[in-house]
Amino acid sequence: MSLKNCYNFEDFRKLAKKKLPSPIFHYIDGGSDDESTLKRNTDSFNECDLVPNILASVGKPDLSTSLFGRKIDMPIFLSPAAMQRLYHPDGDVASARAAEKYGTFYSMSSMGNNSIEEISNISSGPKLFQLYVHKDRSISDDLIDRSRRSGFDAMCLTVDTLVAGNREKDHRTGFTTPPKLTLQSLMSFAMRPGWVFNYLTGKRFELSNVKKKTDKGTNISKSVIEYINEQYDPAMGWKDAEYCAKKWNGPFALKGVMSVEDARRAIDIGCTAIMISNHGGRQLDGSRSPFDQIKAISDAVGDKLEIILDGGVRRGTHVLKAIAAGAKACSFGKMFLFSLAAGGQQGVEHLLKNMHDEISRNMVLMGCKNLKELDNSKIIYRK
Amino acid sequence: MNLKDCHNFSDFRRLAKKKLPSPIFHYIDGAADDEITYARNTSSFDEVDLVPNVLRGVENVDLSTTIFGKKLDLPFYLSPTALQRLFHYDGERAVGKAAKKYNTMFGVSALATVSVEEISSMIDTPKMFQFYFHKDRGLNDSCLERAKAANFDVMALTVDTITGGNRERDLRTGFTSPPKLTLASLYSFATKPMWGINYLTKGKFELPHLQDFVKEGTDVNSSIGNYFSTMLDQSMNWKDAENLCSKWGGHFALKGIMSVEDAKRAVDIGCTGIMVSNHGGRQLDGSRAPFDQLAEIVDAVGDKLDVICEGGIHRGTHMLKALSLGAKACSGGRLYLYALAAGGQAGVERAIEKYKSELVRDMKLMGCTKISDLNRENLRFR
Repeated sequence: MSLKNCYNFEDFRKLAKKKLPSPIFHYIDGGSDDESTLKRNTDSFNECDLVPNILASVGKPDLSTSLFGRKIDMPIFLSPAAMQRLYHPDGDVASARAAEKYGTFYSMSSMGNNSIEEISNISSGPKLFQLYVHKDRSISDDLIDRSRRSGFDAMCLTVDTLVAGNREKDHRTGFTTPPKLTLQSLMSFAMRPGWVFNYLTGKRFELSNVKKKTDKGTNISKSVIEYINEQYDPAMGWKDAEYCAKKWNGPFALKGVMSVEDARRAIDIGCTAIMISNHGGRQLDGSRSPFDQIKAISDAVGDKLEIILDGGVRRGTHVLKAIAAGAKACSFGKMFLFSLAAGGQQGVEHLLKNMHDEISRNMVLMGCKNLKELDNSKIIYRK
Repeated sequence: MNLKDCHNFSDFRRLAKKKLPSPIFHYIDGAADDEITYARNTSSFDEVDLVPNVLRGVENVDLSTTIFGKKLDLPFYLSPTALQRLFHYDGERAVGKAAKKYNTMFGVSALATVSVEEISSMIDTPKMFQFYFHKDRGLNDSCLERAKAANFDVMALTVDTITGGNRERDLRTGFTSPPKLTLASLYSFATKPMWGINYLTKGKFELPHLQDFVKEGTDVNSSIGNYFSTMLDQSMNWKDAENLCSKWGGHFALKGIMSVEDAKRAVDIGCTGIMVSNHGGRQLDGSRAPFDQLAEIVDAVGDKLDVICEGGIHRGTHMLKALSLGAKACSGGRLYLYALAAGGQAGVERAIEKYKSELVRDMKLMGCTKISDLNRENLRFR
């Protein structure tokens, strides 16, 4: 099996599983508790059907839209994801280059293994920085300043990760960063010598953006769970979010908004966008899925800020449904991480091309020339 | 596999399965008929989703709740269950001590294998006695008096077990109390020698609340279903429940209420609480799940007595959903019985600790710092 056999999410997932040591694969693949929200995130799209219009002289549909003040070539982008060098030696460099090539946003996590400055040097494409509010506020301030200096276009603040989710697969596999070689996981590493070779011979593994401020996650074997619980501030409130938005003073999103009430407050503190997300089902299991919730949020605030649907997206038709329900764009983490693991920059490009072609084909089948035509009248909910 | 590999309900279940002779495991694990209600009790929680609120400042979470006039540190407690020394030789002693450590309530069954007097001498935290209405009124009076003398805080009358449920796994495995060594079950006992050694060496197996009155369940090999069908008084009615309630004279609950009408009558006869329960799917298969029925009952009587959601709970998020709908607390039997079988007191403590840390984490992720922050605004039904 190789990249050219990858036609969809499942294929990329399968190839990633072959290439990655099992603790690392399961860190991407797992959700919290019983993974019922993880599953629902995708299943929820099946509760809603597309209704095509025929004979609409579509020709070649225009997939472009604008997001965070930049024009992008299609309504999808790469969600911020931590520690990408665990999945492929090129890490964020591969993701950023692939996104630029397809004219859409790449996002950098606070917990990236490449630095803000490094990525800004290799990509002039649209870039979003993802921020966590650390207990040590100078860490967050430093990240905001550096992102601005490096020409990032937008910032998002993650608000659904005050404590680490209960990812039981990680308990079982002993996932830490850098990976801890327990007897149990050793076997799985030994069977993937390519990964181990790259990991050991590549650049030193570090959390490049926070390394000056904290040695957590770099010098010692620390699970992601411990890092989150030690470093992130559970007391974070609306005042802190407002402070970040003001300090950034540019396109700003809250990532992880789920209630209509919170979506309204996001406008009040100066957000230009929200990402409806439950962190890919990795935090609160039993939480509502983004697609189940988007209509209520879009009805309330859709005319006042940009809505991004993050979670469960695996198909072009999922993107179409989300846009018809009120999203400006969709983002995804797992799907592109699997493609990154499967083939680095080439893998991510392959995925983005697949998605572009699916969206384009489905727009034609729907009879829509551009994304504006993809409105509420194009979907019907089953209940 | 050992205790430290147990992270959730199904892990404890797996370890219990390894440790228990199969008839005993299946007595806990099984339910009535086709076990449809048993499955629904848990899957009903998937019909509703949690909607979190963000940026609320959630560094400290208070899980305490007050039921039956007692403040508990946790919004869930351990339901009364029968025959606990079959599952671990410490039985009720282990469960009571674990509950005490976490300052939550636990229930002692009329079919307990440790006496209310002994429990009372060990445990000063809130305790519930669970009561079956027997044909023998002398036995009934004795249970009530002993529980009162032993300072139990709550009396729960079970009203959904007027006859034994059709637990077909027990028919197949030959589950009786004390266990009957049929050829079929012999192999399973033989392959779990530790259970057998503990059972034979750690004190005689007895039903202390019943043994002065009945022979069933003590001297003879009587199946549990047979016990219910022959010993309990099937003519039990609302008048009997009302009499017991006033005779008890303290906090009194009906366990196994499912209809709104019955919930209202429970208020009328002086109950201070009800357990919305179908006995863990072990009685009437096809019965509605507690969580499916909870909202209606809370709407009707939630301001007049404590409504407790019992059955199907495997996760902290399940509890959050029930509490958001208006339950005052949650409870469960299998919730801690697998853990008891898996590791005695240490097992039950680990299970409580896991649920507690799930609740704390999930409350933070919901943007809530106390149980009263949870309400129906947090929920959306699919």
